[in-house]
Amino acid sequence: MILLGGIPSESPLAFLANALEERGADYRIFNQRQSSDCAIDLDIDSRGVTGELRFDGERFSLGEISGVYVRFMDDRLLPELDGEPDNSPLRRRTRALHDAIYRWIEVAEGKVVNRSDPQGSNGSKPYQAQLIARYGLRVPETLITNDPEAVLAFREAHGAIIYKSISSVRSIVKQLDDEDVTRLETIRWCPVQFQALVPGTDVRVHVIDQDVHATEIISDAVDYRYARRTGGSTALRATKLRDDLAERCVALTAGLGLAFAGIDLRIGPDGEATCFEVNPSPGYSYYEANAGQPIAASLARYLDEV
Amino acid sequence: MILVLCDDNDASALWAAESLERRGLAPAVLTGAHLAAADRWEHRVGRAPVECQIWFRDGGQLRSGDVRGVLNRLSTVPWTWQRQVGGPDRDYAIQEMYAFYLSWLHALPGPKLNPPTPQGLCGNPRHPSAWAALAARVGLAARPFRQTSEDEPDAIWRQAYTPGALTLYVVGTRVVGPPALVKIHREACLRLSCAADAPLLSVDFGQESEGDWRMTGVSIMPDLAKGGDELADALAAEFAP
Repeated sequence: MILLGGIPSESPLAFLANALEERGADYRIFNQRQSSDCAIDLDIDSRGVTGELRFDGERFSLGEISGVYVRFMDDRLLPELDGEPDNSPLRRRTRALHDAIYRWIEVAEGKVVNRSDPQGSNGSKPYQAQLIARYGLRVPETLITNDPEAVLAFREAHGAIIYKSISSVRSIVKQLDDEDVTRLETIRWCPVQFQALVPGTDVRVHVIDQDVHATEIISDAVDYRYARRTGGSTALRATKLRDDLAERCVALTAGLGLAFAGIDLRIGPDGEATCFEVNPSPGYSYYEANAGQPIAASLARYLDEV
Repeated sequence: MILVLCDDNDASALWAAESLERRGLAPAVLTGAHLAAADRWEHRVGRAPVECQIWFRDGGQLRSGDVRGVLNRLSTVPWTWQRQVGGPDRDYAIQEMYAFYLSWLHALPGPKLNPPTPQGLCGNPRHPSAWAALAARVGLAARPFRQTSEDEPDAIWRQAYTPGALTLYVVGTRVVGPPALVKIHREACLRLSCAADAPLLSVDFGQESEGDWRMTGVSIMPDLAKGGDELADALAAEFAP
């Protein structure tokens, strides 16, 4: 049995459920909004991981769950807990349930998309860049500093530069302009990440095990995710990577301990790819809906095949 | 230079630094308070080898290239720095600083006891369930683990901090502790350390009613002083030129 977890109407979960349905796969969805009807027992001893999951009136041995795909929302923010006091029995029970499920997923013996620990590399972009470089992918020239003079020298050396968050906290990538330079002194209290602006075309690559789906993004914005907000536009279309580049993306995904990843590349005028980051929990449905690539079908096949 | 990185008031790290010094090494101790007082940071990642330079207010400097090994006990972004940060962006600033420290520590050359991870700057402080699963995988006898949806998550962590009756220490390829226990569990402890990518560990054991010694808990930040001279020798060997 394949277990999907999260909010069933959320697009990535819904797309995958449809793809599993089309395959005739045996799957169930654990709807987080019905947490009070779910329970789990997790046991670990010298024989390995055993236990039981109960929800929707059914019971499953943990050993019979061969694949897991989760996109849990923060359980503390579930609408069913609105108005519940901080330490109420329902809140505590919901937290305990999610904690136990997370602990099981981390050690589950089947296929898991994706376990929590390997997703951590995305929490530090320069750390992840060091891992990415091991797989033969170019990473942007990066300076992290709290020294305004160093930033100006970096801009002098590279021409246009951008700045963005170091951590996984989402930030809008912005080119450093003259107005920003006037307030550079404010970086002294906390280092900021600057990168040489890389020319080229953005490509989002979704890797599922050995399957590779590349989507070209045509945009006139520095950060295509926010093109509309800055008065620009974005269009997506399916594309194909060179074989060697696709192989490096597959190796990178596996090397980071992930079964599924969304890799952000920019292909330069010289044909070389620069890798900006690897997203370990990609909201792939946006790309599938706009470029028509069968990403959910790949994911369903991966989870369903023995 | 062997760097001993630690949180403020980490007596165990200071004991290790003195022990290394007595064994002919010249460790430099850098506490969270020292790091919080750094004046200037430059960390570069790109085509050239990764580098990081720190300038301190007293005129001192630390270049990543000068380091050839790290005893890493810096568990998080220095509290001294965290206390200086307030306002609505506080959480964001701390996450940014954590991401920065992780990248810097990862880039330091030489053996690192322990290497930084996204889950913890001095290694991954795994949940007891994860240690139990790793122990099962590597064939280390361990007390059974159980967690249900009715158990308070904090209580599970608290149980893990109950010290065992005996402790083994893994330092690289060495295991030190009570000889009889070393004899039984040496190989499995080394496999555990390798599987966890944590070359410095303490593994606690408790005795079952039938007399067997089973793992009861693991720490990536052990009390080093309790390991005594034997542990200090193992640390010195790990950092020997």
